[in-house]
Amino acid sequence: MTTTGYSIELEQMSKSYSKKTQVINKMNLSVVPGEFLVLLGPSGCGKSTTLRIIAGLEAPTGGKVLIDGKDSAQLSSTQRSIAMVFQDYALYPNMTVYQNLEYALRVHKVPKQIRQQRLAKILASLNLTNYKDRFPAQLSGGQKQRVALGRGMAKKSKIFLLDEPLSNIDVQLREKARDEIQRLHAENGQTIIYVTHDQQEAMALGDRIAVINDGKIQMIDTPANLYHNPANLFVAQFVGTPQINVFKVNYFNHQLIEENGTVVANLANYQAAGLVEDTDYLLGIRPENVAVSLKAANTDFPAEVESVVDYGRYQQVTLRAFDRLELKAVVSDWPVGTTRNVYVKLSRENLLLFDDQTHERLDANPEARFVLKGGQRRKVEA
Amino acid sequence: MLTEKRNLGWHVLLILIILAIMLPVLFMISNSFKTLQESYHSILQLIPAKPTLTNYVTLNKQINLFRMVANTFLMAMIVTLGKVLTGLLAAYAFQNFHFKGKRVVYFIFVATIFVPFTTVMIPNYLVIAKMNLLNNVIGVALPQMCDATGIMLFVKAMEKIPTSLVESAKIDGIPNRKIFMNLIVPLLKPNIISVGAIFFINSWNEYVWPTLVLKDKNSFTLPLALQNYISSEGGTNFPLAMALAVIMIVPPLLIYMVFQKYILNSISSSGLK
Amino acid sequence: MLNNNSQIEEEINSRSGPRESRKPRGRLLPFLYLLPSALLLFVFMIVPIGYTFYLSFFNWNLIAPTKEFVGLQNYINVFTDPTNQKVILNTLVYIILLVALNFILPYFISLIVNFFIGKMKGPYKILFFIPSLFSLVVGAMLFSWILNPVSGPLALFLRDFGLKVPQWTNSGAMAIVVICLITNWKVFGYNFILLLTGLGAVPKNILDAAALDGIPKWRVIWNIVLPLNKGVAIYVLILTIVEGLQYVFTPINVITQGGPYYGSSNLLYHTYLNAFVLYKTGNASALATVTFVIFLILLFVEIKFVEGRKQNAD
Repeated sequence: MTTTGYSIELEQMSKSYSKKTQVINKMNLSVVPGEFLVLLGPSGCGKSTTLRIIAGLEAPTGGKVLIDGKDSAQLSSTQRSIAMVFQDYALYPNMTVYQNLEYALRVHKVPKQIRQQRLAKILASLNLTNYKDRFPAQLSGGQKQRVALGRGMAKKSKIFLLDEPLSNIDVQLREKARDEIQRLHAENGQTIIYVTHDQQEAMALGDRIAVINDGKIQMIDTPANLYHNPANLFVAQFVGTPQINVFKVNYFNHQLIEENGTVVANLANYQAAGLVEDTDYLLGIRPENVAVSLKAANTDFPAEVESVVDYGRYQQVTLRAFDRLELKAVVSDWPVGTTRNVYVKLSRENLLLFDDQTHERLDANPEARFVLKGGQRRKVEA
Repeated sequence: MLTEKRNLGWHVLLILIILAIMLPVLFMISNSFKTLQESYHSILQLIPAKPTLTNYVTLNKQINLFRMVANTFLMAMIVTLGKVLTGLLAAYAFQNFHFKGKRVVYFIFVATIFVPFTTVMIPNYLVIAKMNLLNNVIGVALPQMCDATGIMLFVKAMEKIPTSLVESAKIDGIPNRKIFMNLIVPLLKPNIISVGAIFFINSWNEYVWPTLVLKDKNSFTLPLALQNYISSEGGTNFPLAMALAVIMIVPPLLIYMVFQKYILNSISSSGLK
Repeated sequence: MLNNNSQIEEEINSRSGPRESRKPRGRLLPFLYLLPSALLLFVFMIVPIGYTFYLSFFNWNLIAPTKEFVGLQNYINVFTDPTNQKVILNTLVYIILLVALNFILPYFISLIVNFFIGKMKGPYKILFFIPSLFSLVVGAMLFSWILNPVSGPLALFLRDFGLKVPQWTNSGAMAIVVICLITNWKVFGYNFILLLTGLGAVPKNILDAAALDGIPKWRVIWNIVLPLNKGVAIYVLILTIVEGLQYVFTPINVITQGGPYYGSSNLLYHTYLNAFVLYKTGNASALATVTFVIFLILLFVEIKFVEGRKQNAD
């Protein structure tokens, strides 16, 4: 049996614990039925609070939460049809694995036969059948996590909330657990909201990702758009490892000029509408878009190699330009025994410019994208 | 070497303290198995030369020993069950609900620990008399069925249960009373045992309030019976009194032997805020 | 299943209105859990405090149908009547002795156990605590046996040295000392454990750092450990006074009944005597109210030091 998920909407939702601290500030969010949405952000950004409010564990101090189009405050926990997996799994220590899965169903008087069928299937699909009579204390971290997942599945709810469910298990097990969660989503079609601070996890799982900081949604989009078309400096810096290179430039006469007067990029051949002459911007460029070469021809500026970390599949190079500016580059064919002096070329298609004051990406304006004149543009939603 | 020598000195001091504390108890046990004569003549002999049960037999003839043990047990049981139950329920209310004035109510509850017994004894005596519960262990137990110490200890224990457990149950629509019965109470079992044991022992030994309520010898609890064997003018038959005292100390000692770790942990946590 | 669910949903959905009005039980629920304890504390604690206060303005003998209003006379008596004055003075002596025996002594021993001996903490804790399990009546009986001036073990032991055990029940001061020793026998282990737990919470690395700097142990204890442990210590100190004054009631009643001539009585015992032996309910109520006020002051001292410390720690 496949269930369809409920939609979830936040309308101008706010939460504050005291007059001074606004945890969530007039948040608007719309999750379509069956979507897998990830809330991504640093700790303390309000993502967990958002999840807890959707779960009904806390009441918003302003605005509304709509579940399946109905005001959540008016709904009973049964009507909300929510299951949640907690970061610490919240398994009942006094009950066995099977009892943990069964407990809510028993309290809600689901007939025993249905219970047994449903749980047998879940236990089998999560590889837990052999552990069903164990107590949580007798399980490994990964097993506990699967039990927590199974307990959420047992309810066959329309909405599944997961609060950093993988942060307490070994790195080696995480990828497997991720696959499990994705399979679960594909099979049941529940609406899933998944909170994490791990961007790789977010990218791997989400249909869309909402990046949250300071109680506000900074951007909500597909993983690819988040990476390539960040709406602001925060998103650009938060998403992607190694972090995006950012430095201050001045736009003058179709050129981007570094603070010491060196031209770092000549844009004469590119569309650059929306840029104002003689204005400071923050230039962002991801490390893989910084090309390094040994010859000066067709490059932007010289740099010195500070250090190289070889990850096997690729090399991460730390460069220093003009004796002060640090740049990171990711390359895949670093020649052994390279001299200290190299030349850098910034990929024009991937230059990101941010307002020096507001740190907004230039209106996330498609016109601000540096595309060879007449080339294709990607559409950016904000 | 030097520090070890110093340690030895301290150990000697501590062992002397243990002797000072424990020797009277050991002599008490020993004397309860001596005749009155032997207890006079061989007062400092720890092992009785001719152990005898005379004192216990005499005691059983003079007073209805079984009835007094039963009275004491009944009273201590009612008090313990009452305190544990009311304490668990109140602690759950304080720990799992948010309501206006919660802090004030909790403060008033805890402040009752500081109310001296004499401040409430007259009105309570009048109430128990009016309810016709004098000379009845229920009259002793009734005013003591709630103890803020218990509430405090249970609140502290509940604070240690991860909030996510209760929240998880709430999301799953488990009603509060089921969360209480199926989750909180089973998880608090060690605390219930230790707090219950402490309550039981204290009630078993209780003296002041029972002396007011229980005047009829048939309704006496063990401490009152023992007091009857101690004459303030001298001439106490000590071996006899000691036999009764030995009967009195056995249940608390047994409880302590079984639950020693739990009990000491609970007492330790009562001091840490 | 599905049908069943949607039926329930419809049923619940048909009832509208804000959440609070729909589930009035939800808001009352915490009070339901509080009800048993609140009721008991109200009937047997709060109301009696008020009623005792009320009785303190009357002359009454606990039985007569009428009470004579006497205003503040009972309170004036508390402070002017020579017997009451003696009892108040005795209470102060009790407090000093109780603090010395039941607080300072166990504190000293807990410092030694925590800082000066390596192992055996567990066994000492377990053994020290044992008398706390026994009734004070047992303690009173044991001490009146040991200290019996004619046939007690101490008298027999001292006889070899040509010494005698004095007739301590004939002296108020000596009786007070013995009575305090009896409570000490019972409470020592209990307070020892509370204080030791507090000391155990003092971070070890502070002490190690001081030891590396070559600071003598007792100075470290005086300058660092005792200030850090102030909260627990004050809690135990106040507990010692509040519970100690109530604990001594039992040996007083068993051994001296407050005598000789009220020489070993204290505020609490004298209250009992007035209420249930002399049937001066008004006097007793005034004494009880005064005791209550003193304990209330101690409670506020406790809050100021102990609870304040907790908030700072948060």
